[in-house]
Amino acid sequence: MNLIIENLNKVYPNGVKALNNVNLTIEKGLFGLLGPNGAGKSTLMRTIAALQDPDTGSIKLGDIDVIHNKTALREQLGYLPQDFGFYPKVSAWDLLNHFAVLKGISNKGERKELVSALLQQTNLYEARKRNVSEYSGGMRQRFGIAQALIGNPSLVIVDEPTAGLDPMERNRFQNLLSEIAEQTIVILSTHIVDDVKNLCRKMVIMNQGTILYEGNPSDAVQKVEGKIWIKPIESNTFSSYKEKYNAISSSMVHGSLMLRIYSETDPGNGFELAPVGLEDVYFSAIVNNAIN
Amino acid sequence: MFGAIFRFELKLGFKRPMIYVFFTLFLLLSLAIGFQQTGVFNTFEGDRNIIFNSAYSVSNLLVGLSSNVFGLLNSIVLVSIMATAIQKDYEYNTHALFFTKPISKSSYFFGRFLAAFVLGLFVMSGYIVGYFLGLLPGIGHSMVGPFELMSFLQPFLIFTVPNVFLLGIIFFSLTTFTRKTLTAYLFCIIMLVLRSIAEVMSADLDKKTLSAIIEPFGSIAFNVLTEYWTPAEQNSNMIPLKGVLLNNRLLWLAIAIVVTAVSYYRFSFAQFLTPFRLFKRKNEEAPVVTNKFQTLADIPKVTKKYSGASAWSQLWYLSKFEFRKIAQSTFFIIICILTIGLIWLINHFSAAESPMLPLTQNVIDYVGAYSLLTVIFVVFFSGTIIFREKETKTDELVHATPVSNVVLFFSKYVGLMGVVLLMQLVAILTGISIQMSQSFFQIDLMQYFVSIICFGLVSFSITIGICLAIQVFSPNKYLGFFFSLIPLMLLSILFIQLEWTNKLYNFDSDGPRLPYSALNGYGPLGPWFVYKAYWLSFVLVIIFIALYFYARGKESKIKSRFRFSKKEVRKGSKWAMLFCALSFVGFGSYIFYNTNILNTYKSVKERTQEYVNYEKLYKKYEHLLQPRIVEANVDVDIYPDKGSLHVKGFYWAKNKHAQALDTVYINIFDETSHFTYKEVALDKPATLITDDKIFGIRLFKLQQPLLPGDSVKISFEFDYAPKGFDNDELSTLVVSNGSFFNNQIMPSLGYSDAAELSSNKERKKHNLPSKLRMARINDSAAHQNTYISNDADWIRFETQISTSADQTAIAPGYLVKKWTENGRNYFKYKMDSPMLNFYAYQSARYEIRKDRWKEVNIEIYYDKAHAFNVDNMILAIKNSLDYYTKNFSPYQHKQIRIIEFPRFASFAQSFANTIPFSENIGFTNQVDTGDWSKIDLPYYVTAHEVAHQWWAHQVIGANVQGSTLMSETMAQYSALMVMEHRYGKDNMKKFLKHEMDRYLRSRTVDGKGEKPLMLVENQQYIHYEKGSVIMYALKDYIGEDSLNAALRKYIAKVAFQEAPYTDALEFVNYLRAATPDSLKYIISDMFEHITIYENYVKSLKTEKLANGKYKVSLTVGCTKFRSDSMGNNKKVAVNDYIDIGVFGAVKPKAKEQFNPLVFYKVKMDAPEKTFEFIVNEKPIFAGIDPYNKLIDRTPDNNICDFGVVPKVPNLSEKEVRLSIGSGGD
Repeated sequence: MNLIIENLNKVYPNGVKALNNVNLTIEKGLFGLLGPNGAGKSTLMRTIAALQDPDTGSIKLGDIDVIHNKTALREQLGYLPQDFGFYPKVSAWDLLNHFAVLKGISNKGERKELVSALLQQTNLYEARKRNVSEYSGGMRQRFGIAQALIGNPSLVIVDEPTAGLDPMERNRFQNLLSEIAEQTIVILSTHIVDDVKNLCRKMVIMNQGTILYEGNPSDAVQKVEGKIWIKPIESNTFSSYKEKYNAISSSMVHGSLMLRIYSETDPGNGFELAPVGLEDVYFSAIVNNAIN
Repeated sequence: MFGAIFRFELKLGFKRPMIYVFFTLFLLLSLAIGFQQTGVFNTFEGDRNIIFNSAYSVSNLLVGLSSNVFGLLNSIVLVSIMATAIQKDYEYNTHALFFTKPISKSSYFFGRFLAAFVLGLFVMSGYIVGYFLGLLPGIGHSMVGPFELMSFLQPFLIFTVPNVFLLGIIFFSLTTFTRKTLTAYLFCIIMLVLRSIAEVMSADLDKKTLSAIIEPFGSIAFNVLTEYWTPAEQNSNMIPLKGVLLNNRLLWLAIAIVVTAVSYYRFSFAQFLTPFRLFKRKNEEAPVVTNKFQTLADIPKVTKKYSGASAWSQLWYLSKFEFRKIAQSTFFIIICILTIGLIWLINHFSAAESPMLPLTQNVIDYVGAYSLLTVIFVVFFSGTIIFREKETKTDELVHATPVSNVVLFFSKYVGLMGVVLLMQLVAILTGISIQMSQSFFQIDLMQYFVSIICFGLVSFSITIGICLAIQVFSPNKYLGFFFSLIPLMLLSILFIQLEWTNKLYNFDSDGPRLPYSALNGYGPLGPWFVYKAYWLSFVLVIIFIALYFYARGKESKIKSRFRFSKKEVRKGSKWAMLFCALSFVGFGSYIFYNTNILNTYKSVKERTQEYVNYEKLYKKYEHLLQPRIVEANVDVDIYPDKGSLHVKGFYWAKNKHAQALDTVYINIFDETSHFTYKEVALDKPATLITDDKIFGIRLFKLQQPLLPGDSVKISFEFDYAPKGFDNDELSTLVVSNGSFFNNQIMPSLGYSDAAELSSNKERKKHNLPSKLRMARINDSAAHQNTYISNDADWIRFETQISTSADQTAIAPGYLVKKWTENGRNYFKYKMDSPMLNFYAYQSARYEIRKDRWKEVNIEIYYDKAHAFNVDNMILAIKNSLDYYTKNFSPYQHKQIRIIEFPRFASFAQSFANTIPFSENIGFTNQVDTGDWSKIDLPYYVTAHEVAHQWWAHQVIGANVQGSTLMSETMAQYSALMVMEHRYGKDNMKKFLKHEMDRYLRSRTVDGKGEKPLMLVENQQYIHYEKGSVIMYALKDYIGEDSLNAALRKYIAKVAFQEAPYTDALEFVNYLRAATPDSLKYIISDMFEHITIYENYVKSLKTEKLANGKYKVSLTVGCTKFRSDSMGNNKKVAVNDYIDIGVFGAVKPKAKEQFNPLVFYKVKMDAPEKTFEFIVNEKPIFAGIDPYNKLIDRTPDNNICDFGVVPKVPNLSEKEVRLSIGSGGD
């Protein structure tokens, strides 16, 4: 079962173009959606999660027309939004049970078993009687994924799930996601390049509502191989460099500003060829749409 | 810095459209009131003598618009404007930006608050501006005086400004500290409860001052301060900021300042980051156990069901979830506690004056107070739960699940219904505990179930539905609260202003329903449920429409919500909506069929026009001489189960005039009533010249004129069978148990001016000449009739009644025969002596208690559950008969009966030898035999009604001014004497104090003007309340025996007389004759003029003498006013005999409470006089007219305790009343 997105467009009333003719085909496995804040990732995710309608275009999950048959999609969906909260004063157990009911698991016994298993799976069983609203960030995210897994979804959407997690939590979370992805389509939206690099076989880079790159992470890296150049510069000369070169990023390394530029040929002027990573794909895609 | 913050905040505030919406709404509201008052809406106008643009009227408006439901509206608006002035920084996460700037706490705190305060004042000024504009069309009319700025400004400064400050600062502080607006709303409710309790308390004369001070908005204080203001004073006085009003304003201003100080002191930027919590919760951190992740394969496979059945089980589960969430909230728990407190306190204070037995039917009235708080709770919680997902940010989680909007919405609906049910159970348990606390255990659970749960849930299903639906439409909950009040209260107020009275379009109107009665039970409930079903269908249609706009997902604009959610609406919902729409139309049509086709609906205008037409068509017959009814012989068949009647009877009518008569004018019911006439005929050849079905008038022309002394027999036969129900009330003529009706349903003779339009303002609009309220006392034509009947003098009476087999039917007269036929009971009653043409019928399942007083049979007919006070009534009858036969004249009948009727009305009424008596004016009242000072209501009412056998049934005045003096006032006097002999002189003081208070208050609202007692125009506050006080004082002056001797003489002269009838002039002359010359002035003061005293203690002191006695020095003053009909006072010279007294300690509850050490009448021949006495005991208090025998505009300052400095009285002709505890002028 594939998720097929065709010609998706969405313009907000304030004129922001959130989706610009997005076309995607997503298969089973982890699918990375990479983009800076405000790129339209959340709009795309919500649109797939049937929380929003596009202006035009279609989304199909197998034979389900998502836009016109939202309920059918919701039956197959596990969704972890970017920004969510919980009812105050409800324990994890009760709340997960609550979501199980919402997802249509009407058999009480099954529900109990499921809730228990999911809480153990996400390592929350010990804390099941505590109120979710008082959970720490990592626990909240785990609870979030637990509720997304209720009812064997065939499409799981996780929006920025690792933001704000400590490295250990993030690692654990990534493992969990990759395991889920063995059975289902998992769409992972993130602005953290590592998430995609580690997990995804397929990815897109998105900015200003437009898909800038679609492929797998290693292909992407190959595309910029030999085209990223690096040079330590004085910070007051940054703007003159920026005018001259196709600067994609700059970062402080050991106290000096390292400027990375994109160039098909050797730019000279002290620039050295840099070892490339997915970040370079990401940044160059965003800065100058240079890839495609 | 302060200035900058203040200006910035103000600028921001005035950019919010909400501010103008609220301002405009308030403006429109009072504009509508102004327009209505100045007649712009062309609605019915009564006569009135007070102007609308006086400071008093403006204050009244402001005070009225801050009470109960309006108080809530104001509070909601103020919360949304003022409460969030600081909290919003948190809500929008901008606090960090502010707190890191170098601004001082005081500029931030006060800058924000003052800006909010100014905004609040601006919005509230809408009321004043609107009212001012609304009154402008009245310029040039008598209803507005010259416009003065101060009349508008002063009330605004006294009421609005402090109230906005008080509410504002409290809302602001609460919200800032708890960071939840819900606490501010909770506080609104607490204020409302405080208000309601103060209001109930203020009915108790002793607690009036206290209640005026503790009521937060100054409205009771205003009422207390101005309660005795006559129309003249209302029109010209400014509102004096003194007395209770000043105390009240100062108290609450002080509270507001303390709240400000405390919250300013407690407020710190750091605190702001952690909200204040009412209950601190332990926040334990669980140890993080890091198990290895198990494999996903361990997660059990589950079945997902999306069938209809599973939707129901989802609904049930979610409803329980919602229910728990609401029921566990602090808000709900506090509301429950308030409900319990409110019910107890209302019960407590209501019981203070004339307590009712704790029967379920009585206690349930207090229990019903739960609904006030519950409505408010529903308004707030509807918003809270509709926006809960959004506010807790669970919306995306929930909305991504396959649960339908219908299930989500209705789970909230059902959850809230469940909480209301819980609240009802709490209220019921409170009621039961009240009953049990009085050792009363006949608890009628069924009544609780029906009245509270059944009626309550049905009503609340509509309230909840509309509030939830409105919140779904609304972009945020604050606007939602506000919009909710539109259908819940504002529309009905507007419709009343516009006289749109048809219940078909008055949202959530109640169909006609009878109050519960132990006799009749609930009566027919069909109409009420039909109306509720009609409105519930309507609400459900609105709900299904709202589901098209349900905020699922991330869309927020109403248009995009519609685009998104309309696709979510499934077939089932559409069918359900269609079904509800059809049932709305169906029930609506059924109601229309009943109210407008089976019955007739008439608007106020149509009714008014009818009166006009009637007068224009028939006034010409006003002086057409008619034969007088001399005999009525009527057979009445009562069908309690069908609610119908069959009547067949005849009158003998005699020409008592000196000339022959050729036309007989008969009034029957019109065609829109449910009376159908089989026969209305004369026994002499006559032609029907007019048969007016619209007004129900038949005119017969006799072929041979009826000669003087000749009689004509008028036969009639008709059926009464009400069909369906009408827009207003259910008829109570015939009910299943407890039918009660009188001879108004029988045909009558001659033109009746009672059906004329009485408002002179309306008459002018319709080109009718102005009309007197009653004929002048010297109108000789009007002396031909009694004030009770236009077509008869004294009649012979006989009647036969049949009713169902289990009931007893009673009418005046003696039972001469009783039999059973065709499964029905028959009774034949015949009166053996002449009686007024005034008789009533009753039928119910009665218990009968019999007793005897000399040759008179006493019978009490009562419901078997109401035996409580029967002995008391019998005692009252015996004591009354003793007193009246001894002092007035013999009793004309050999029997006297009291017959209970259901509490559809609260009165007792005297017919010849028969007294119908409402269940809640005697049968279910509590009589505390251990406390002599409590008014024994059954005893008093019985004595009053028995007295009418003399005063009305022997002596009856002409149809002119003053005649009710000889019936109602004298019945009051007679009852007072019977009471005094049983309960003691001292316990009359409390009764008379109430009478005086009611008189002084009622005279201020008599739109046609007050009259002296002798010229009373059927004004109840004069003939009952003032009459009691005056006659008691008269008795005190001339002595009981000489007064009764005068009454005896008068009765002997006029009892059972034929026309022309006696009048108050003649009566007062008998009184005058019995009064010694030195006191003759009192007759003039009491009967011929409106006389008001201001008696007061100026100073008093006492010292103990060496011989153990006490020396007392007492200075008292007396000012006397004569008042005109508008209440313009004029001082007159005092040369009066008035009581003064020095008293020892009071013995409460005793028959003789007071311990007079010195008590006698002095001649007050100077405005102030000082007296000195030596008394044997320690004096406690002293004063002038200490028993309040004289009409006094400040009754409280007649006595004063020793050691207390008496207040300086106001002796000017304009009354400004001061109360205890205030400083003075």
